[in-house]
Amino acid sequence: MWWPWRRRDPRIADELRFHRESLIDDYIAAGMDRAEATRRAFLKLGNLAHLEEDVRDVRGRWLEDLSRDLRYAFRTLRRSPGFSIIAVLSFALGIGANVAIFSLVSAVMLRSLPVRAPHRLVQITRLLEGHPGQVSYPLFAQFRDQIKSISGAFANASVTEAALIDGQEDFVTAELVTAGYYQVLGLEPAAGRLLGPADLQPSSTPGVVISDGYWQRRFGRSPTVLGKPVTLRDRAFTIVGVTPPSFLGVRPGQPPDLTVPLIDSLMSDAQRRATDFNWLRVLARLAPGATVTQANAEAQVIFGAFVESQAAHASEKDRPGILGQRAGAFRAPDGFNVLRDNISQPLMILMGIVGLILLLACVNLSGLLLARAEMRQREISIRLAIGAGRGRLVRQFLTESLVLASAGALIGLLSANWVSAWLFRMFVNGRSFNLSVSPDWRVFVFTAAIAIISCVVAGLTPALRAVRANVNPALKEVRAQGQGRFGRGLVVTQLAISMVLVVAATLFVGTLLALNAVDRGFDPEGLLVVRVRSAQPYSAARAPVVQQALRDRLASLPGVATASASQMLPLTGGLWDRGVQVEGYLFQPGEPDHVGFNVIAPAYFSTLATPLLAGREFDERDTAASLKVAIVNESFARHFFRNQSAIGRHVTSVGVTCEIVGVVADAKYQDLRSDIMKTMYIPWTQREGDQPARYSYVVRTVSGDPQRLSPTVERLVGDVDSGLHLATATDYDTIVNRAMSTERIMAALGGFFGLLAIVVAGLGVFGVLAFQVARRTNELGVRMALGASPTAMVGLVLRDVAAMVGAGVTIGTVGALAATGLVRNILFGLTATDPRVFLVAAIAMASAALLAAWLPARRAARVDPVVALRHE
Amino acid sequence: MSDKSTSLVQGTLYMLILKTLALEPMHGYGIGVRLEQISRGVFQVNAGSLFPALRRLERDGLIKGEWRVTENNRRAKYYAATAAGRRKLERETEDWEVQTRAIARILRATPSEQ
Repeated sequence: MWWPWRRRDPRIADELRFHRESLIDDYIAAGMDRAEATRRAFLKLGNLAHLEEDVRDVRGRWLEDLSRDLRYAFRTLRRSPGFSIIAVLSFALGIGANVAIFSLVSAVMLRSLPVRAPHRLVQITRLLEGHPGQVSYPLFAQFRDQIKSISGAFANASVTEAALIDGQEDFVTAELVTAGYYQVLGLEPAAGRLLGPADLQPSSTPGVVISDGYWQRRFGRSPTVLGKPVTLRDRAFTIVGVTPPSFLGVRPGQPPDLTVPLIDSLMSDAQRRATDFNWLRVLARLAPGATVTQANAEAQVIFGAFVESQAAHASEKDRPGILGQRAGAFRAPDGFNVLRDNISQPLMILMGIVGLILLLACVNLSGLLLARAEMRQREISIRLAIGAGRGRLVRQFLTESLVLASAGALIGLLSANWVSAWLFRMFVNGRSFNLSVSPDWRVFVFTAAIAIISCVVAGLTPALRAVRANVNPALKEVRAQGQGRFGRGLVVTQLAISMVLVVAATLFVGTLLALNAVDRGFDPEGLLVVRVRSAQPYSAARAPVVQQALRDRLASLPGVATASASQMLPLTGGLWDRGVQVEGYLFQPGEPDHVGFNVIAPAYFSTLATPLLAGREFDERDTAASLKVAIVNESFARHFFRNQSAIGRHVTSVGVTCEIVGVVADAKYQDLRSDIMKTMYIPWTQREGDQPARYSYVVRTVSGDPQRLSPTVERLVGDVDSGLHLATATDYDTIVNRAMSTERIMAALGGFFGLLAIVVAGLGVFGVLAFQVARRTNELGVRMALGASPTAMVGLVLRDVAAMVGAGVTIGTVGALAATGLVRNILFGLTATDPRVFLVAAIAMASAALLAAWLPARRAARVDPVVALRHE
Repeated sequence: MSDKSTSLVQGTLYMLILKTLALEPMHGYGIGVRLEQISRGVFQVNAGSLFPALRRLERDGLIKGEWRVTENNRRAKYYAATAAGRRKLERETEDWEVQTRAIARILRATPSEQ
């Protein structure tokens, strides 16, 4: 369609020339001589070039018109490079920010599993405060067997441990799945076969399925992988199949390397039988014709019966807790998406923020385009005078805006990829999530859509206003007045949007500051956290020996002040809890008797720098054979013993009575926002239970960066025992930051965009004021000639600014108040309507506006009346 | 040179051109001559109206253009009506006849005929 049109073009000239020559021939045939005939013909036809233009202008197919408009647009934009660059960059920033956030939204919230009919998958689970939890094996079995609205269900647990794969030890992520996993999902293997009922029979060697990623990494996609042996937890398996490359497991961000059938020997007794050992996640497929509501109702009925029977076997005290549990079934087309639960709210807030930034950029650009159209008035008037349609001109201007928006969108798209990857890393902050956030088809469609929308928002009004120009110059003055009013309206809009963004920024920064100021109860500076793992688990006798040896060796390293260990460290997600009886305290009926529980090594509190308020820490005296002791925290002591000393009192838990020998300050174990739990600590030498426990080791370094010690620690770990390896060595500052990662991101991005908004709005104010002062030079000159002082001139300008800022801030405040309800639950230490926040924001806006007004005000004050009066 | 006063005639012009081409394919100059001929000098189509009209008709697919060599050994673009063009001509002619009959009746009405 294109090329024939271009080829036809020169032929119009040929056609017209033929017409003229035929006319000449006819004149000659009628009796004129050649010269006369030629003259007549030229007279009659006029300028052929003009005719050609007319013919070419005939409204044809829109594609050809568009290409013409595009080329004209490129030519025009190339002539004003400064403007074009600013405009393209503005679009790039606004569109790029939106695309970056949307890439994350698409990757985390909008994708479905690449399986058959993912919208028919439901997760059935216990609910903890509305969030999906886990279930026990007996409960899973009941769900699977008794819910009629599902055609199949499977349970799934994810572990990360060492396995022997084809003779080589590898640290892999493995998913343990029950029968029917692949059938419920509806997946076909890429090679070999997938797990089936045969793999759960005790007789044969069960198979495992590996992921395409692991096949690539470990075996280089070699076809000989099928049949290779795998040893996990001392059980033998064979690799029988590979899943397709698009399948990354049912936990987005946590792709498994291995999928292992949950055979009986892989489960401990507790895991298989205990009704309160909740370690599995359950996914089911709706039966044809069934609905989620039905499945949900059935799940709740079955769960109700389940907890009834659980409560009947439990103690009186525990019953309310058990019966208070909730369960449900809900759609899960994206599997067990922990990421979505965690970051969807901040992401949505960020989308709102970058949407406002784009709007701001568009309004700003509108102003710029308007000013530019003003400069092209001559061109527009001429084109209108020679007959161009107004619609045609508007289309031309919109095409220019489209070129700018598209260029910006392209740049934005390219940089968004990098930004969204960085942002994702910030959000997960060290936790191992492996998710691809590169643009998918949704992102491309989104980019195109907002490019077009921004083009229209920014470019339509200036285009319409520009062609309203009347050819009569006398009316030009009136129009300029209107232009000024519209320009100021744009600035007020920009100020309002900025106000909302600045309020948001202040709220997020304030939240972060408040969170940072929370007393953590320990000092993370200079602390190194060491976590170890072993290929083979240690026996119950050997484990404590290794653990204590490791601790002793760590403590004696040069550069180390003290070292200790515990099961749970502060700010890493909470504590175990246990029911207790406290000497001299009577629990009210219905009062929970659970307290936080932690097992620690000697010198724990001095290593963490948690103040010891009374008594002593655990030390070498406290062995397995000596008196059972415990240390409690402030909250515990205050709650159970009021003003009396806790030292010497007794606490009983799981049948063991301990004497309290120390009281320590409260520390935050769950996270920075949660309240402190009443906590009791026991020494690791006195821990009951046969299974070896896992500990994290914490080391206080004397000075400098704790990470420096990592290589030394790694070697030391290997020295203590050959089967022991270093898993991670992290400095505590990083862990504390992780606990605040969302708040830090919101503060950083919110602050960045807030600042950007102020700058953009300030530029808008500056532009309009400069324009006004220039336009009113005459008037200002007259005033000064009549005796007004320069200060009064400045006053005029400032009154202007004050009016705009006042309007903008007011509208912005209303908008912010309406919107802050959305961010209420990620705030801390502030409410969404805190007047101090709005005051700070208003002051920031006013200061920026004043700064922007400084130059125009100075210019107004410096107007020389004589020069001004001569300036027409 | 989009002359507003000929916008009404422009519509009629399309019809006239289509009719001419439906009878016989010819080039732009020939169409102008033929129209002048048949209308006995009433319609003298100038090039400024004729060629944009031809362009429009061609773009709308109602006529088709083809470069050929004339008797005088010159290259000229010959147009012919397409099937769509003929159908449109039929419709337009019908409408036109209905309109003209109605106008004629109104113009010939005497006070006695209500």
